[in-house]
Amino acid sequence: MKHWLRLNRLALVRTFGGMVRHPVNSLLNLLVIAIAASFPFGFYLLLSSVATVTDKMPVEPQLSVFLRATATAAEIGKLKEQLALDERVAQVRYVPRDEALKQLQARVGSADLMAGLTENPLPDAFIVTARLDASPAELEQLRDTLARHSGVEEVQLDSAWAQRLHRLIAFGEVLLQVVVVLLAAALALITGNAIRMQILTRREEIEVSKLIGATDSFIRRPFLYAAAMQGLLGGLAACGIVAGAMWWLNPAVRDLAATYGEAFTLRMPEPAEIVGVCGITVVLSVAGAWIAVWRHLHRHL
Amino acid sequence: MIQFQQVSKRYPGGIDAVKQLSFEIQSGELVFLAGHSGAGKSTLLKLIAGIEKPSAGAVLVNHQNVSRLGRKALPYVRRHIGLIFQDHKILFDRSVFDNVRLPLDIIGFSGPEVRRRVLAALDKVGLAGKESSNPIALSGGEQQRLCIARAVVHRPAILLADEPTANLDRDYAHDILELFKSFHQVGVTLVISAHDESLMADYGRRILRLKHGEFTA
Repeated sequence: MKHWLRLNRLALVRTFGGMVRHPVNSLLNLLVIAIAASFPFGFYLLLSSVATVTDKMPVEPQLSVFLRATATAAEIGKLKEQLALDERVAQVRYVPRDEALKQLQARVGSADLMAGLTENPLPDAFIVTARLDASPAELEQLRDTLARHSGVEEVQLDSAWAQRLHRLIAFGEVLLQVVVVLLAAALALITGNAIRMQILTRREEIEVSKLIGATDSFIRRPFLYAAAMQGLLGGLAACGIVAGAMWWLNPAVRDLAATYGEAFTLRMPEPAEIVGVCGITVVLSVAGAWIAVWRHLHRHL
Repeated sequence: MIQFQQVSKRYPGGIDAVKQLSFEIQSGELVFLAGHSGAGKSTLLKLIAGIEKPSAGAVLVNHQNVSRLGRKALPYVRRHIGLIFQDHKILFDRSVFDNVRLPLDIIGFSGPEVRRRVLAALDKVGLAGKESSNPIALSGGEQQRLCIARAVVHRPAILLADEPTANLDRDYAHDILELFKSFHQVGVTLVISAHDESLMADYGRRILRLKHGEFTA
């Protein structure tokens, strides 16, 4: 055990020595790793930032059916009956005009909303919640059917865009998975190649070491340390790049969101995420290095 | 200590480097390996160290069949063998001291023991005081001595030297052979190859003569 620790310490010292001796090479490798890792991580943060907003939005497809002021009680009753029978409808709630006004006053927070008005301008309405699995086409069909009803003034499909946004985010998440897999492979290849270069510059040392009784793990160890170090620093640099990009983008994002009346910014990496990113880059770098050393040892020695 | 049983080595392309060799070298023996270049001397030494695997037959070192050992076991056998390479295989990116300490690092020596052993080995081969030089600054003979120091620093039981006197003038070659004799006197088993047989005669030891991969009288 003591012997093993000593060998590891020796390898670590050599690794640092190597990085200090070739600072430009080490830095370039590190930057390549950082940039490769910053793409999926940045994309992930972007998606999760957007998701925090969309999670608060109603996902259930909802229709607001506004009634004509002239609609008779019979017409309203018939519409209610029709809605109850419709298979596409999950839930119906009748909102009389007085209640709608109260809700509006509560939301705006002003009791004298009615100051300049002689009467309540709001219509009676049905808030119709369609089934969750209703497709956008079905919803539009439902809207058109309801709009043709004699007592109905107007039908609004409220949540169609939110639903689309959700589907877009779901698509983004799949896209993220694809990007992560591709860039993970790229990352392992990049470090594998960087380590291969290091192996080539130390070919003679490896050969001599092997001839005088070095085990494969003795030879492998310093390269794995170098790769782990590159992965760790590369991961940290990736987090730095992403944080910088968010900071750069945020004023523009804030302005854009303000035009929609939303207070929205892209969020910064959290400590747990930084640890996760570094963990992934370290594991991938070490895997790439392992393969590079394995190939060298088995092909040449 | 070293036993060859019907050992043949055929390289790709059908060239037989050694053919059906059988011999035994006792522990503590000093054996010379003579023959022209291409006679199979280097191959024979490589077979002992497990650097080459025989195409047929068995190579036993310390009762272990070297040719059958796997990747994991072979390094531990090599640690009992000191190798002196024909092309020296000195690392020019580090000092003389760091070249010699390499076997100790591999085996796992630590602390003042490393320095003590490296300096003792350098002293033994006559390179005392040169430990911080770069090997590039050493003469050919000194590089040969450095290679010997690296081979003996971990005190192996067997020392294999491939043409250690090649490219050296006669006096210098004698110095090197005297050095080997002193290792022999402390019980190390030595196998030394050379194409110049006149040097060996002075030492009156067993000589194995190789020609086209076979022993001659």
